[in-house]
Amino acid sequence: MPMRPADSPIALQLVVTTTDKPAHSSGLENEVVDLFDQLREPIFRYALSLGLAADDGEDILQEVFLALFRHLQLGRDRANLRGWIFRVAHNLSLKRRFANQKAARRGEAGGEMADTAPDQAPSAEEQMVFNEKRARLSAVLRALPEQDQRCLRLRAEGLRYREIAEVLGISLGSVSISLTRSLARMQRAEGR
Amino acid sequence: MRIQHIHVPDQDLLLLADGELPKRRSVEVRSHLEACWTCRSRLQEIEGVIADFVHLHHSELDPRLPLAAGPRALLKARLAETAAASPERERSKGLHSVGSFRAWSYALAALLTVGLLALVQRDLLPRTTRLAGVKDGSAPNRELTPGKTRPVTWDQVCSDGYRDMNRVVSPGVQRQVFKEYGISGTRRQDYEVDYLITPELGGADDLQNLWPEPYSSTDWGAHVKDALEDRLHQMVCEKKIDLGTAQREMARDWISAYKKYFHTDKPQSIDSANPAEKSEHKVGSVKSTKV
Repeated sequence: MPMRPADSPIALQLVVTTTDKPAHSSGLENEVVDLFDQLREPIFRYALSLGLAADDGEDILQEVFLALFRHLQLGRDRANLRGWIFRVAHNLSLKRRFANQKAARRGEAGGEMADTAPDQAPSAEEQMVFNEKRARLSAVLRALPEQDQRCLRLRAEGLRYREIAEVLGISLGSVSISLTRSLARMQRAEGR
Repeated sequence: MRIQHIHVPDQDLLLLADGELPKRRSVEVRSHLEACWTCRSRLQEIEGVIADFVHLHHSELDPRLPLAAGPRALLKARLAETAAASPERERSKGLHSVGSFRAWSYALAALLTVGLLALVQRDLLPRTTRLAGVKDGSAPNRELTPGKTRPVTWDQVCSDGYRDMNRVVSPGVQRQVFKEYGISGTRRQDYEVDYLITPELGGADDLQNLWPEPYSSTDWGAHVKDALEDRLHQMVCEKKIDLGTAQREMARDWISAYKKYFHTDKPQSIDSANPAEKSEHKVGSVKSTKV
């Protein structure tokens, strides 16, 4: 149990927020737009790889960068913004996917289920485009545990192990083991 | 003497290629690779699979990427809108108006009340909490999680952008909370690290305001609490109750508060109590997606 002052179960913070430095909004807006330009494609690809439809991916992008703006506006932690952005995108995407699945189960949005998990069922057309080796690789990828797929996708977007660990809430060791295991499986499928 | 014929495991080869191997080990592995054709070709095979995967990753997903211009313009417009309604503007505006000054004093008084009441509780209540549902973890241990607030005003809490602020609990903080509560290993998957007093009502990002809330072991789960938070926030902003009361009710016994404000002894179903969906992965999740 951590040490706490015994007489302050609810700490009073009487230094009110006027002491905060007002954020410079236009500078922040530009910064957020710059980050949007840099990370739009990686975030979008990651959201799609989690099984979201393109429309949902676009919504998530907007939400992520608006959340980033508020995060910066409140003067919050700026260390490793890329990891933060991916983490928010990850959480929002899963939340959206869950909501879509729930809506589809209720039958409120017929046909939306197919959109929410396009990666699970590639069309015949898509399959034809793939050559045999890639089709095999793709099948193995889809058969991997979701967490393993996420590690691969995030790594492919350039995230370092510690960033992946933070986005997925797992340890560094788990990231390393997951990537090694997945690559080995894909390699066996390729018959290397 | 170093034994050269023991080959490097795949995991280390990948760590080396990714620049993630500790320096000392990486020197060892590099020197082994110079000597060992087997491991070197193994590394190349791994790189080959990586290249194939990256190619697949892009060829699957890139055709679905939208054009940048539209979303970029939309984001810029929404940023401008958000900046215009930001708490900073609200605040500086508020300093010059009597109404907001009243709200400030109100919030300050509320904070004091919460603090004083908590002090009283601390002294008068038995140390072991007698909250309903405490055995199954749906109420926090009051010693560990008494609740803590940050200074906020009614104007801030009820401004448009405020409810959408993200409330990600970082993995590091989550680990501290789990450690405090003695929850380890895979058991952690069964809990959401949640705020006792929700940030939407001025709850602090602090260990004293965070506890592991079980997902499913009780009727009084995270989604029920979410519904209460929504209800209290609404009531505060409609000035039906004051902010301090809402904070105090959450901190003291949220289950009793739920019963009181929903006029029921049992949690309502998720759908009727809270039309907003429940997050699949609430641990470290972003609370609200509305913009």
